[in-house]
Amino acid sequence: MKSFISLFLILTMITLISGCLLLGKNKEYQPFETSGLDQLTPGRTTASEVTAMLGAPTQVVKLSNGNAYIYKRSLSKGTGLWLVIVSFGNYDKDYDQLVFFFDQNDVLRHYGVSLNARKASYGLPF
Amino acid sequence: MGSRFSIPLVLVTFLLSGTLLSACISYRFVRAVQGDEVVPPGDAFELGKTNLGEVLSVLGAPDKVAELKGKDLLLYERAVLQDSRLSLSIPLLDISGANVDLSGYGTLVRYDRLWLLFTPDSILRQMMFEKGSSHPYLKTLFKED
Repeated sequence: MKSFISLFLILTMITLISGCLLLGKNKEYQPFETSGLDQLTPGRTTASEVTAMLGAPTQVVKLSNGNAYIYKRSLSKGTGLWLVIVSFGNYDKDYDQLVFFFDQNDVLRHYGVSLNARKASYGLPF
Repeated sequence: MGSRFSIPLVLVTFLLSGTLLSACISYRFVRAVQGDEVVPPGDAFELGKTNLGEVLSVLGAPDKVAELKGKDLLLYERAVLQDSRLSLSIPLLDISGANVDLSGYGTLVRYDRLWLLFTPDSILRQMMFEKGSSHPYLKTLFKED
């Protein structure tokens, strides 16, 4: 009887762990080279100097008193877990973003930096 | 007097039922988060005094930038999606010619948003904050309005 219960427990365990785990990662765009950001000086740096450093922006937005150049990169990580009759999925997407505000003469007024892409993580949804 | 059912038979039946049911019952739960946490501004910014540079130094780059009727809009946003699906089905195709299938799902997307409006000379004029993710999943999902 004991051997039968042991066999039953083993079979139950095999059944329950006969799931599947999936880990996935998705990157959009290349990482930014942010080491030169210290050289940027509002009131002096021009739009062409910024594009020479970072390349073409992801998006340009016309504002009331100039333009905003937006550089964006994302990193997403997905986790999937299947356990017999239940399955769980988790998807986490974070961004690296640089936004430069230029006046009408294309001189830098302000800029903002958010480097959060590395915060994207694998995990379960609870 | 012995039991009418032997324990091994009950255990095997239980195991087989669990295995077979896995084809008939399934539950799925998915959570997706897009963007970093949006923090409430609190007293950090003052309308009419705080400028764009000060906001950017505290909050970093915004998720969206737009012009709105001669003013500049900065939007910080985070989206949280939760999705549950439950499916019950009985495969009777070989017996009755039709399958019984009952499924239900509920998807809820909530947004945390900080909305900042600046004058053309970069002074903060208006701000709004909404923390949609603070609403409970099931209660919000089943609320009719």
